[in-house]
Amino acid sequence: MQNLNTQPSHPFFLKPLLAGGLMFAIVGLLFDFQGVQALLSPSKPVSAQECETIVQAKARLSRETLAQLLAIPERDTKERVRQVVSEPYCQLPELNVRSGVVAEREAYPLEFDPKTRLVILYENDEYAGYRFDFHQ
Amino acid sequence: MSLSGCQMKASVPPRSVPVQQTWELQLGDRIAGYFVSASLGDISIELDGAKVYAPFPGDVEPTDIEYCVVFSSAEVPAYLFRLCGLRRPKLGSVSQGEAIGSGRYLHFATLRRQPDGTWAIVEPSSSVLERILQPAL
Repeated sequence: MQNLNTQPSHPFFLKPLLAGGLMFAIVGLLFDFQGVQALLSPSKPVSAQECETIVQAKARLSRETLAQLLAIPERDTKERVRQVVSEPYCQLPELNVRSGVVAEREAYPLEFDPKTRLVILYENDEYAGYRFDFHQ
Repeated sequence: MSLSGCQMKASVPPRSVPVQQTWELQLGDRIAGYFVSASLGDISIELDGAKVYAPFPGDVEPTDIEYCVVFSSAEVPAYLFRLCGLRRPKLGSVSQGEAIGSGRYLHFATLRRQPDGTWAIVEPSSSVLERILQPAL
């Protein structure tokens, strides 16, 4: 009786090749575990820091005011900046970024894009700078 | 193996961070053939493989020194945090408390923006460094 299984169904080199490929993929996944985690986990929202104190609930920055603010150099006084932007919508919690110096942070929603806020940082009543916060 | 890392690097261009202080030996220099891995103003932490975390929601960007990244946040205007020595750092947007890398050593510096566009290395506060070393603060 003829044995129909005498010939392997795949070329003799295929199994080691598949096994090698599998091992390579496993090692690759182990090395890139952080990337895999990022792919599998749902994207986390980037949470904006909550206001600590609402100062002026109606405060909004217009384009004109923003343009004036951007012309003020860092290291100018807080008073000079406040003359331009008036009272903020809110204050964020105080923070020490530099050792021994308290950073005050004030936030202003933009009149023309209320989901974006401008955060201004002061240290020792000196204007340190601003950033737009798009993550609200 | 590090395809995702390469893609990240390709999508986040390196950021140039000119430092105001012009010390003779700067981070990234070479002396007697050896790489200068930290400079005056860096705090070096023995991580021993532990992770570091985003102290605020923000962005991790590569720098023109391959060994270092900078972290910035809209919640901390006028400042950059330079982190050197991390293996395969996570680049791009990160949430507060999210791991951004690990390494044997972390060389950490706080930089404050100057009116001329340079960045001055300043004395870092313990509280920000604690946030970087512990995820739940």
